Amino acid sequence: MEAVEKYDFSAVRWFSIMAVIYLVVGTLVGFYIAAELAWPVLNLDLPYTTFGRLRPLHTNAVIFAFGGCTLMATAFYSVQRTCSTRIWSPGMAWFTFWGWNLIIVAAVITLPLGITQGKEYAELEWPIDIAIAVVWLSFLINFVMTLVKKKTSHIYVSNWFFLGMLIMITYLHVVNSLAIPVSLFNSYSIFSGVQDAMIQWWWGHNAVGFYLTAGFLGIMYYFVPKQANRPIYSYRLSVIHFWALMFGYVWLGAHHLQYTALPDWTGSLGAAVSIAMIIPSWGGAVNGMMTLSGAWDKLRDDYILRFMIVSLAFYAMSTFEGPVMSVKTVNALSHYTDWTIGHVHSGALGWVAMVAAGALYHLVEKLWNTKMYSAKLVNTHFWFATIGTVVYITAMWVSGIMQGLMWRDYDEFGTLSYTFAESVAAMMPYYKMRAVGGLIFWLGGVFMLYNVIMTIRQAPNSNSKGGE
Amino acid sequence: MSYFDTDWAALTVNDWVGMIVTVIVAVVLLVAYILVFHPKNRENLESQRYLVDGVDGENYLRENT
Repeated sequence: MEAVEKYDFSAVRWFSIMAVIYLVVGTLVGFYIAAELAWPVLNLDLPYTTFGRLRPLHTNAVIFAFGGCTLMATAFYSVQRTCSTRIWSPGMAWFTFWGWNLIIVAAVITLPLGITQGKEYAELEWPIDIAIAVVWLSFLINFVMTLVKKKTSHIYVSNWFFLGMLIMITYLHVVNSLAIPVSLFNSYSIFSGVQDAMIQWWWGHNAVGFYLTAGFLGIMYYFVPKQANRPIYSYRLSVIHFWALMFGYVWLGAHHLQYTALPDWTGSLGAAVSIAMIIPSWGGAVNGMMTLSGAWDKLRDDYILRFMIVSLAFYAMSTFEGPVMSVKTVNALSHYTDWTIGHVHSGALGWVAMVAAGALYHLVEKLWNTKMYSAKLVNTHFWFATIGTVVYITAMWVSGIMQGLMWRDYDEFGTLSYTFAESVAAMMPYYKMRAVGGLIFWLGGVFMLYNVIMTIRQAPNSNSKGGE
Repeated sequence: MSYFDTDWAALTVNDWVGMIVTVIVAVVLLVAYILVFHPKNRENLESQRYLVDGVDGENYLRENT
């Protein structure tokens, strides 16, 4: 009962539920557009259902709807628990919840209609961009003010990661979205040419670095120790992990623009810092995994912990692969190919979605003061998520490398050996394999949603504020 | 070695700002590494691991040290 009076988790509960729903919806759209590439008839000859319009709907749904609700649920939960204090403003948390979900509704309406700024991971038009800034600031202010109220002597490291994400995403979103509106649903970026490209990828890579990495590392640093019931392996390593990530990540965006009009040195700098970032990233992954040092047996029957530890393996793998791909020699082969899609999904499915699933299962048990309805179903979800991810990324690796090799192959007369259409035809089996991988991953999400619904339905009545 | 030749006079204000920020960040990171891994700071930093449990973690640490 003490926890009920001490904290307010009412908005956290709804963020958690919506996160699971958006996981299923977002990956369903992803599966559908993967199937469109394998079987183009699924475009239905309608502009609203073409790949070009549904793809940003998929990325916005998984990154901002699923990812955002997960981050808001876990940040508002863990900041209260680690600071031993109630959230600064429960009303403002509800404002964040409704505001964020209305923005998602706006995305669902505008993107299929083709209303877009055409900026990757920042497609939404200017009125929605302003709404994002306002709602995100409400998240930031509530989080910071809760930290100010803390009853502990220091701020725990998970909060540092959440805070880093909150500050940097505010800055990145505002600068990247600067535009001149010409009508309610049309605007032009204030940047042009190569500067526009540089700003776009400064945002684009840092959306990965601060939103999908720093934010989810905040989740890892709280939920892995809590689920394993032992403190993090090394706090010192976590401090280095944090500062190296904060100072290093902002430089990486230029590695998306190798061999373009951007000055050569900017791409080289981006690649050099990318390589340097392997050290803190692996330090963080090792830190999370070694938290289980001496208690590896927990993985045998704690399926929620399995999600978290395997996610760290994917985190280590994708933070090695990314820097390798940023090196010019490798980039010459990999850029514009499906290898990039494979890399993104090893991070998105293997790291982000799996650590999020582990954290959400943990949250559901704590918030509704019960055990999961079916532990077996959690295990089934784990295997579907793992196998689906592996099938997906393997298909894209093979397809991408083959694509790159075909594009640059030429004969003794200096003529290209293959036409572009031949390379597309060669990729078809892998597109089908990718769609199957996506389907397997999506089914895992469906099991999770069913399990969460049944858990909540059979949970004993608890205080509306949530918690044990 | 010609790779490292620089026409310092050609550097713009942006170049100088960028270079100075880069050097400061590198130095700050080096200082962070030294401070974090210095043995005298070990106990203080590692005790913060227990903050994952908030005040309860601090009480646990107080009772067990």
